[in-house]
Amino acid sequence: MSNEVKCKLKINGLVYNLSIPSDTPLIFVIRNNLNLKGTKLGCGLEQCGSCTLLVDGKKTLSCNQNAIDFEGKEITTIEGLEVNNKYSLLQEAFIEFNSAQCGYCSSGIIMSLTSLFNEKNIPTENDIVKSLENNLCRCGSHHSVLKAVEKVISILSNEKVENQYE
Amino acid sequence: MNELSTGPSIKVYNLLSNWISFNNNNNKIKIFSGKVDIGQHISMTLSIIASRELDIDIDKVEVVNLITGKSPDEGFTAGSLSVSHSGTALKAASITFRNLFIEYVLSKFNVEIDNLNIENGIAKISGTNHFFSYWDFAKLDTYKNIKITEFIPKRNFDINSKKKSNTNKTIREIITGKYEFIHDLNFPNMLHARILRPPNYLSKLKSIDNQLISKLKNENIKVLVIGSFIAAIGVDEYKVIQSINRLRSSCIWESLGDIKTTNIFDMLANNKKDTLLVKAGGEAFHENIPNKQIFDNKQFVTLNSEYKKPYIMHGSIGPSAACSIFENNRFKIFTHSQGIYQTRSAICEALNVKEQDIEMSFMPGAGCYGHNGADDAAFEAAKISISFPGKYILLKWTREDENCWEPYGSAALSKITGTLDLKGNIVYWSHETFADTFMTRPSNGGAVNLLSFKYIENSFIKKNHIPRTAPHMGIHRNLDPLYNFKNTRLVKNLVHDLPLRTSALRGLGAFGNVFAIECFMNELAEIANIDPLIFRLNHLDDIRAKEVLLDLKKQMDKSILDTSHARGIGFARYKNSAAYCAVGIEISISDDAEIKLINSWITVDAGEIVYPAGVTSQLEGGLIQGASWTIYEQVEYDTKSILSKDWDEYKIIGFDNIPNINVSMIDRKGYPFLGVGEVVAGPISAAIGNALYNLIGVRLKTLPYTKVNIKSEILN
Repeated sequence: MSNEVKCKLKINGLVYNLSIPSDTPLIFVIRNNLNLKGTKLGCGLEQCGSCTLLVDGKKTLSCNQNAIDFEGKEITTIEGLEVNNKYSLLQEAFIEFNSAQCGYCSSGIIMSLTSLFNEKNIPTENDIVKSLENNLCRCGSHHSVLKAVEKVISILSNEKVENQYE
Repeated sequence: MNELSTGPSIKVYNLLSNWISFNNNNNKIKIFSGKVDIGQHISMTLSIIASRELDIDIDKVEVVNLITGKSPDEGFTAGSLSVSHSGTALKAASITFRNLFIEYVLSKFNVEIDNLNIENGIAKISGTNHFFSYWDFAKLDTYKNIKITEFIPKRNFDINSKKKSNTNKTIREIITGKYEFIHDLNFPNMLHARILRPPNYLSKLKSIDNQLISKLKNENIKVLVIGSFIAAIGVDEYKVIQSINRLRSSCIWESLGDIKTTNIFDMLANNKKDTLLVKAGGEAFHENIPNKQIFDNKQFVTLNSEYKKPYIMHGSIGPSAACSIFENNRFKIFTHSQGIYQTRSAICEALNVKEQDIEMSFMPGAGCYGHNGADDAAFEAAKISISFPGKYILLKWTREDENCWEPYGSAALSKITGTLDLKGNIVYWSHETFADTFMTRPSNGGAVNLLSFKYIENSFIKKNHIPRTAPHMGIHRNLDPLYNFKNTRLVKNLVHDLPLRTSALRGLGAFGNVFAIECFMNELAEIANIDPLIFRLNHLDDIRAKEVLLDLKKQMDKSILDTSHARGIGFARYKNSAAYCAVGIEISISDDAEIKLINSWITVDAGEIVYPAGVTSQLEGGLIQGASWTIYEQVEYDTKSILSKDWDEYKIIGFDNIPNINVSMIDRKGYPFLGVGEVVAGPISAAIGNALYNLIGVRLKTLPYTKVNIKSEILN
């Protein structure tokens, strides 16, 4: 069995000093040591996307990579998306389009899309599909998720047009 | 249509207090239901019904979490019955309450109705300081004995309710990660558990390395071995997972037989079976099966077809889980079972305890729509918890557990014969359907239906299932077509000695039966040289069914069909008693023979629509899941094990093949609520089959429509 090691993780802006087995995947530390339960374990095989979170703003699967490998990086979980108690545009759009059914996969989907919008303001259809290629949903919330994405793009596009005229 | 049929739930739970109670501490109204949230947001629909009928802000309505002893036992959350059972009951309870309240207030203050003003549950008498609230009324001694009135109209009285917002609280919790699943339970000193499964169904434990068990004990991992049931338990969840992996290679198993890998459709046709006659109305009878009628070839055209679907899985994204504590000889179990009372009965039998010794509470799991591992996990967690009194045990299945051990939706075979007269009318229809059981929920077979029971007992005797006869049960669900065929021969075959564990999966037998019926209707329409939609209308008397199809046509005609695409349609009324649904799909096919879903249309008549967003998401979800079954899904296995162990080996639909979905609802105010959760899968499957035929000119009769299967069919 692996040894306990010291590990310093920065999650949702807070720094946590932990003592954990060196081979513990990040998701178990986040869920069990830090009690942030929004990130879900779906397969443990990096196939379903339920465990998606952001590392330095980019989507990352957390079910297989060791927590200690994330030292020095900025980790964001679904709990860290609200800023000053305000939902992100994407979260607002998910509410508007009822974009979740059972909700188990939703947090991973939202994190993948947040990563997409961090990269591109106006992603193409291909960009969207590519960004969700690791995310599975069984209830069939896909269509409503894509509607929410369309809404965010339309808001961002309008903002872009407005900015051009300023 | 103002009268309200109160449905079966109220017949058993006929007191107002069974459904509605009033919390004086926070001035909220608590509503009870025996149905659970499995992704369909039934709580939201029930809250809207109570809020609407009590004329009260929806924020004041709280849905009480389902718990044995406190909530009504409404059977399983299954069969698309939640709104028609629980919703109808709550509607009747709310109307009864509101009517009695108004009468009481008028009498108490001796005033006319014009002097009454009610706002958010508080009645005020004009020109006085008098007021009286719903909560005051519920405090009266008489409240707890008030019976719900059947067939009551809502008293006509305009209540000043504020604008009711339909904010879905669940969605807000989901998108912030706050919605609590059973997997997220966290109690002080809680222990995590995982199970080491045998290599396949027919395996008995011969030996396990006891030295490794002792070594693990020193690492704070307890290994429980009971018969062929092995579990690892510890504080650290990941260490528990690692322990299972270490233990796996230390076990020696005795094989009690191989998984039979003869072609499943040959087995369905040839194995020993129970054969029943299904009559109009959908009920099955143990009667002699008449021979098929023979028609003169010169005046009639007869066509025979066979349609096949493989085993498919629920495949929840979150594997099954349960939590149990055993304390003072009582169990408290948290489960995502869709029938907590029924599963409790089975667990009582398996553990040899009394029902009052087990309290079961529902906690949400990941969407599965049927009988997956939830009930098995509840039993397993309870069994483990006996060895750790006073400690909560949180058991989670692994992805491989879920994929390999859940009860699948049975493979099915449909043999259909249809005879047309020269005018294009169907004069004869024979449909024989063959499948394994869809009815192994724990309540039906008691303890033996709980997966681990046989491994704990080391008892591997397989009993044949008994065919169910009630209308539209399991295998013969939607076997009786809604079409007005006067001369039908409908046969149900419950086939025995099939290789895989099966039970209820969204739609049960309806998926295979409707796929077959609706593809075959197109085959016949082509022979009759009649447009498939007109051909269906020609064979329907039911006006609501016709309207659904006509509306579908109207929706589809709004857009122009791309010349490189093709369209197909499908139709059904689920169980001939729930919602009516017509589906259209537009597809294309890649050079590599991959079906791409472009556009889709759903028209539904679900009676009175309570929560349109909820109906839409059920319909969209049904369409997407049904399309996934149709294009991608098939459980693979060999003689030694299930091969579809993970998502690489069991492909489901992804975001790369989601069509645009247009939903049209025919809202029938005042009509009974009809469930929509399972109505789409059969029609969409046939619609895709029909579209594929229109596109490539080859009719594929065996699911799934994978690239490989399409290519091989074209080559043949």
